Amino acid sequence: MTHRTRGTAGVTDVANHDRTSMQPATPMTSVTPVSTTRPLRRRAAWLGVAGGAIALSGCATNAPQDTWAPRGENAQMIHDLQWPIFAIAGVVGLIVFVAVGYSVVKFRDRGQPIPEQTHGRPALEIGLTILPAVILAVIAVPTVSTIFALADTDDTDCVINVTGQQWWWEYDYPVLDDGTICGYEPADGLTAAPIITSGQLVMPAGTNVLVRGTSRDVIHSYWIPQLNGKKDMVPGRVHYLRLQSDTPGIYAGQCTEFCGLSHANMRMEAVVLEPADFQRWIDNELAPYEAPEEGTLAAQGETVYVQQCARCHQVNGLVDPLTGDLVVSNPQDHVWSGAAPNLTKLMARNTFAGATWDLLTPECRADVWEAAPEDFGERYLEGVSEACLNTVDLREWLRNSPAKKPMYADAERLEVTDGKVRGMPYLALSEDQIDALLAYLLERK
Amino acid sequence: MFTTGSKLLIGSALLATIATIAYGIAQGGTLGTIGLASAATALWFLAGVNIYVRDCNVAIDEAGALTVSAAARQAPPSSPWPIVGALGAAALLLSVVTYPAVGIAGLVLLLAATAEWMVQAWSERGSADAAYNDEIRARLAHPLEMPILGVIGAGVIIYSFSRVMLSLTKVGTTVTFSVLAALVLFVAFMFAARPKVSSGTIGGVVGLAVVALVAGGAVAAFSGERDMHVIETTADLAERGRCGTEASEADKKSSQTLAGKTNLAATLTLDDAGILSAEVPGFNESTSRLTLPRSNPNNVVFRNDSDTDRRLVIDVGPSGDMESRTLCTALVEPGGVQFLTVIFDMPTFAVPDGHRFTVPGVESAVVEVTVP
Ligand code: HEC
Ligand SMILES: [Cu+2]
Repeated sequence: MTHRTRGTAGVTDVANHDRTSMQPATPMTSVTPVSTTRPLRRRAAWLGVAGGAIALSGCATNAPQDTWAPRGENAQMIHDLQWPIFAIAGVVGLIVFVAVGYSVVKFRDRGQPIPEQTHGRPALEIGLTILPAVILAVIAVPTVSTIFALADTDDTDCVINVTGQQWWWEYDYPVLDDGTICGYEPADGLTAAPIITSGQLVMPAGTNVLVRGTSRDVIHSYWIPQLNGKKDMVPGRVHYLRLQSDTPGIYAGQCTEFCGLSHANMRMEAVVLEPADFQRWIDNELAPYEAPEEGTLAAQGETVYVQQCARCHQVNGLVDPLTGDLVVSNPQDHVWSGAAPNLTKLMARNTFAGATWDLLTPECRADVWEAAPEDFGERYLEGVSEACLNTVDLREWLRNSPAKKPMYADAERLEVTDGKVRGMPYLALSEDQIDALLAYLLERK
Repeated sequence: MFTTGSKLLIGSALLATIATIAYGIAQGGTLGTIGLASAATALWFLAGVNIYVRDCNVAIDEAGALTVSAAARQAPPSSPWPIVGALGAAALLLSVVTYPAVGIAGLVLLLAATAEWMVQAWSERGSADAAYNDEIRARLAHPLEMPILGVIGAGVIIYSFSRVMLSLTKVGTTVTFSVLAALVLFVAFMFAARPKVSSGTIGGVVGLAVVALVAGGAVAAFSGERDMHVIETTADLAERGRCGTEASEADKKSSQTLAGKTNLAATLTLDDAGILSAEVPGFNESTSRLTLPRSNPNNVVFRNDSDTDRRLVIDVGPSGDMESRTLCTALVEPGGVQFLTVIFDMPTFAVPDGHRFTVPGVESAVVEVTVP
């Protein structure tokens, strides 16, 4: 039988004896003294490098989804709750780590005899039960009140319907009983009709917006970190999310409930405009359709659009140039979710396909995204001009959308969805058709 | 040199090898070839092991070799399993020209026979003591056989019962099974009162009852089920154009309470004055105008606060091949609620008459719906 060279009498020795007795008698290797300092130091170096990298990543200047940078009342409420709790938890964590570290070093096995074992220390045990309970009770008060405040729907100024589907968000702005949209009356000569758009949720500054969210296919989750927390959007249910900001600008977010192949490409942005700018935005969205001038490239594009795109995408007010009929899309017959983005005012937004790619070239994008709050509205409402159009990404999209964004659009593998695609299929367009479409789409703003 | 067991394994391995080569050349399928090659490899390995340990046979010079070893036994008793297995194989072949069900039965028989035969063969080599061998067979096989036999028995009985119940008239079923239940109780009581009744008698009576039941079930199954009364649903109502004020059977059977009351698209309430209004969280006042998304199930609740039975109706416009499609709730009692799921295929601007919720019989009750 083996013997513990550094063993002590008592319980552990018996246990050890039991264990080793079942194995052939081989010398115990752990007895050989091994220098642990070298690997330890190397490990510490690696830990330092990893820790440093993580810490440095916190210094990113371009971090639009930073949860510690609230830009609205609701996010501020969460922030005001989370930092004190983080601080308390940090202090508790520090105490625990220091205590554990101290014990590990101070009482490490140096071959000393096992100290006397005691059982029970009522005062300490009760104290260590009560203390966390008190801390949790203290934390519970602001937590619960914040949860209730974030669930309030009574102070709503403006309701926007949000519908998620693989892999983009649709927004629609209902017309109220008084004929306004969010209290904004359309300019003279415009009829109030629900506005429908995608990707970028445009909202007025200083307004309590209430998102009424649902989904057309699987569960998605709406999250604009700088404006509020996450909210799952569930098929068949309507969930509510408050959004508010006083500062004009673009606030990025992304779907945070895994929803299939292109979940990572399902982003969204909230665009906050001053009330006057929001009014202009509404008027522009409601402006009637203007057909391209005859004989232009855009007019050719309109024909291609009617033939190739109109079965899925709606352009409000578009009339088939050949038949004179109003063109109505039928996405419910072609797309599994039953919807495709409304392209009436495509160039009034500046990202596309789940807010994943820019409609603006990098320079023009910077002009809008980095504009000061006072200039922002002006820049945003310019929309996408010919000079600013990011033709690279949009062309790639039209050339072969499933190659750009992973989607279930392979015509041969659609049995499970009754032949309907999830996403936009490859349409085998010629370069001439794409040129014409770009010219046509450029006028949709 | 080849022991009995290894002969079987060598034969199987040889067969698998030949099959691998034949399949590989003739069919050329990778998956099948890999499968067969794996089988061949495994069988050769087993054959090798078996030869090496010489079937685990007892060496003749061992003490118990002539008395207690299995090899010391006379001939083993006859076994039913080869015949059952053959029957299964025959059924399997027959299924090619008859019905797939025959094949399934054959496969089951074949598998059962194989398993049973293996267990029996194994137990017969247990020792020279036949009684002991029987006991170890039972110990291994019973936990497997009993549940399966139990399930089959219960299945046959339940299935026969259900056939009889379905073929008799509603009243006939009640009477027959009341009498049968009383009979079972009576017979059981008789047995209980006379502990001396032989188990043979009990077995006979029970056997007879089972045979009668199965026979009854078979007769009933062939004579078919009685005519069933199909209850209308609200979906049928819409299809038959009966979303009016008149009550139908579906309305009488409808529930007037709801489980799902939260996270709705809207709650529509009809009040005393004949006004229909929609409540939607976020809109502080109730409205007579709703915006609901296209191509999506919108769940609404209809609450009837008037004093007459009423239902909520909506024409969702063109849908699939249909020109227009009407949906409605069942008639809702005063104070009652009903749920309605509405899907709009078309936006409102594409539907000539637009979309609106109405209540038949109440002119003033309208909630306009806009589908963007
Ligand atoms: C079978 C239906 C279908 C057809 C046909 C189709 N699309 Fe799409 N399209 C979609 C879907 C679905 C999306 C959303 C994909 C995503 O972002 O995940 C989309 C997205 C887009 C977008 C991005 C819109 C936005 O706001 O994000 C553009 C632009 C677009 N399509 C243009 C076209 C053009 C131009 C055509 C005709 C050549 C066309 N599509 C044909 C289904 C279709
Ligand atoms: Cu998603």
